[in-house]
Amino acid sequence: MEQEKTSKINSYLTFKLGDEEFAAHVGKVLNILEMTKITTVPKAPDYLKGVINLRGAVLPVIDARIKFGMPEAEYTTNTCIIVLDIDLDGDSVHVGAIVDSVQAVLEIDNNQIMPLPTLGSRYKSEFIIGMAKIDEKFIIILNMDAVFSIDEITNLRVNTEINADNVNVEKID
Amino acid sequence: MDSFKKKFIEEASELIDKLEVTLLELEKNPDDPTQIQQVFRVMHTLKGNSSMFGFDLIDKFTHNLETVYDLIRNNQLKLTPQVLNVTLSSVDHLKAMLDEENYDDPDFLTTHNGLIAKINQLINPDKPMEEKQSVQINENKSEEVIHSYYVFFEPRKDIFKNGTNPLYLLDELTSLGKAKVFAHFNRVPLYDQINPEQCYVYWEAIIATENEVNSINDVFIFVESDSKLEIQKVADINLLADEKFLEEITQLANVQKDIGFVTVQRLANQSIARHNKSKSEVVKRERIGYKDKSTASIRVSSDKLDGLMNLVSELVTTQARLSLFAEENSVPGLAPIVENVQKLSRQLRDIAFSIVLIPIENLFGRFQRLVRDLSQELKKDVEFITEGAETELDKTIIENLSDPLMHIIRNSLDHGIEESAIRLAQGKSSKGKIQLKAFYSGANVIIQISDDGAGIDTEIIREKAIQKGIITAERKLSKKEILDLIFLPGFSTAKKVTDVSGRGVGMDVVKKKISEIRGEVEVDSEVGEGTTITIKLPLTLSIIDGLLVSINKSAYVIPLAAIDKIYAVEKSKIYTSFNNLITLDGKQIPFFSLRKEFNLSASDEELEQVVVVNFEDNSVGMVVDFVIGEYQAVLKPLGKHYKTHDIFSGATILGDGTVALVMDTNKIIKDFAKIQVINVK
Amino acid sequence: MAKTILIVDDSESIREVVSFTLENEGYKVLIGVDGKDALKFLNGQVIDLIITDLHMPEMDGIELIKNVRKNTNYERIPILFLTTESQTAKKMEAKDAGATGWIIKPFVPAKLIAAINKVIR
Repeated sequence: MEQEKTSKINSYLTFKLGDEEFAAHVGKVLNILEMTKITTVPKAPDYLKGVINLRGAVLPVIDARIKFGMPEAEYTTNTCIIVLDIDLDGDSVHVGAIVDSVQAVLEIDNNQIMPLPTLGSRYKSEFIIGMAKIDEKFIIILNMDAVFSIDEITNLRVNTEINADNVNVEKID
Repeated sequence: MDSFKKKFIEEASELIDKLEVTLLELEKNPDDPTQIQQVFRVMHTLKGNSSMFGFDLIDKFTHNLETVYDLIRNNQLKLTPQVLNVTLSSVDHLKAMLDEENYDDPDFLTTHNGLIAKINQLINPDKPMEEKQSVQINENKSEEVIHSYYVFFEPRKDIFKNGTNPLYLLDELTSLGKAKVFAHFNRVPLYDQINPEQCYVYWEAIIATENEVNSINDVFIFVESDSKLEIQKVADINLLADEKFLEEITQLANVQKDIGFVTVQRLANQSIARHNKSKSEVVKRERIGYKDKSTASIRVSSDKLDGLMNLVSELVTTQARLSLFAEENSVPGLAPIVENVQKLSRQLRDIAFSIVLIPIENLFGRFQRLVRDLSQELKKDVEFITEGAETELDKTIIENLSDPLMHIIRNSLDHGIEESAIRLAQGKSSKGKIQLKAFYSGANVIIQISDDGAGIDTEIIREKAIQKGIITAERKLSKKEILDLIFLPGFSTAKKVTDVSGRGVGMDVVKKKISEIRGEVEVDSEVGEGTTITIKLPLTLSIIDGLLVSINKSAYVIPLAAIDKIYAVEKSKIYTSFNNLITLDGKQIPFFSLRKEFNLSASDEELEQVVVVNFEDNSVGMVVDFVIGEYQAVLKPLGKHYKTHDIFSGATILGDGTVALVMDTNKIIKDFAKIQVINVK
Repeated sequence: MAKTILIVDDSESIREVVSFTLENEGYKVLIGVDGKDALKFLNGQVIDLIITDLHMPEMDGIELIKNVRKNTNYERIPILFLTTESQTAKKMEAKDAGATGWIIKPFVPAKLIAAINKVIR
């Protein structure tokens, strides 16, 4: 985490899940693919949607919405698969993440990234590096290694029952 | 045809056309020297270049024509009309010679021979021309005998003038083998008298090489007429391996001007004498009748093997695509070629695998030693029997098996086999037995370690487990379940912790290591009788002969080695069966539907297929929608995210780019068995 | 740094085969179609080796060799000439003119490279 913050490259890929916008450091992103037919692997956890053929290698694909505890949504023409290179127990692992849409690559300076408030934050700090306010929106900068690890559900939120629509974001200064 | 050859043909055609024009001119003016020179030049060029591009026939044919015109231009032969006629006919023939398809035509050959005869007649009337045979001196590398040569090389003083660099030649000389080179500077004048454009240095060298003297002569071929050169063989052994010889000549070189051939030969002879003396002593010492490996073997680096396996895998995948393409696009003549490619790639795969698969025997050898040393240390009398040493396994699997097996054997020796006195008291033989067995079963290799020792007391294990809080006292466990507890971390039930099996390096580590190579381990034991540990390992790592099946429009691969037989069954029969048993070939076989297993809806088709696989000595049927066919699956890992999801050993990429999952039938059946109680025995 | 070899031969097919082989070995190649044409390269640029045929129009190989040796910038440059087995007289003439060595036609690429390795590194 620290490494990403202090690395010289400050580019992040932003993507959306529902109304929320997230960002991943470009160092973790290998590729963005159009949504394609996924071969289901029977009897696997819900968030593991299946596998696809990526240039001769088999790539597991995770549905990011399910991983984050959001209800599953229909795929649209904007739905994409982000191919990630994450660190799992010291190994470099490739995995695809299905997201609603990919937005842009933004330059986010380290001083624009606000750390999560220690108390009362909606989000769990082990999954989130911080937040940035760009053009009036809050973008949640994710720790991709932690988020896409092998745990069943990555509960980003402290209280899983909280639904993004009915809670106001309170920023504690 | 390669482009250079094509180029030559173009060029030659032009030359021949020009030649024709020149000859016609000559007809009018037979004494024109420029034209004669022109003809000569064309013949010379054609002769010189044709064999470069594979036209040896043209080379030989133009050889004599060139001679003819050489004689003519030197006024040793007259250009008569006869000569011109022959030449013109030759020109026509030359054109024909550029097309190799003509070479099979009998008329062509007749013309060819006829013309050659006529041309010969021109040069040596009534005397047959001898074909100049260039004798090839075949260099036979004498097997493994090293010769030592003495080389003296003194280039001419002004040798630099023609661009020669003697050092390059010395480099080439020393690259032939092992060499000791002495540079002599005694002819280098004083500094103010040196002419830097002159070569004052000369060299002597001893070179030890397997090559014959011709190779050494070849090095100096450009300079032999410009230098004093002496190359002599002095011994049929490697003199440079003799310290004394080296010492002696080095000393001399430092002291004298030259060592000289005579001295070198003398010292060499002494070395040879010493060598022969020691050789006869070695022969006496050699033990006769040591085990001779009948097949020669070579060492290959693991990287190269991995590289080979990867390429073979890719070949298999690509060949699958090719086969698919051939099926979908009927191109005349393609099918048999594709079939051949399939056959060849399969053979290549088999050979590559046989290289990577190593017999388990040297692992066994290691253990023999272990048992012997340990049994001595523990003062136990043990017999160690091995069976199936020729069983082959992937080399990486063997490497990873070493530690777990050693631990198991240690355990056996330490806790299993009792001391002789105790054994005798129990009515057992005083000598304990540990048996290590390896054999194939379906798509797996089984390795079994059994001993006839004390066995594992399930009561003790149960107690320990309750003590550790792993299970409650009330919990009822089957014998197998209790025995399986030993694979839990920290579970060493040794009454005393000996140095040998230690503590903490328990069966849990063994289990972990074995599951890392996709294997399974089980234990069975009878108190007072002994313990058997069974390890089951997948046979091949990366390419599996499989059966491609379709379930709900998705393709899956079932390893062929696990399959007994395939039956087509009416759906009604399947769904009205009683007790999940179906009668096939007169036998009652338990079965289950993979669609159901995979949580898919029932299919619409009337006919389904039952693939009967073997599972622990039994047959179990798995229902699929239909069987697609045989398929060589290049196994690709599903990735860490699916690591615990072991009903699939991996995936493969089909010819059309889609992914098919490869089933581990044992795990699938076990999974199913957990949910439903099947009476499999 | 890659060495530069000047190839001189009036036969295009030979020029192509030789330059292909040499370029594959990593050498930089200059081409002359005969002796006179080749001389234009002797303008001060670095040439590490000259390979020339002997029988060429305009200026044959022997002449070329003599001219090269007369040029103070190139007087010690290694020169190899192409010849056929039987031409002993021509061989002597070429050597006397100042050639370093020769390559016998027909030759396979390996023989060409072996000869080159004797005179440049």
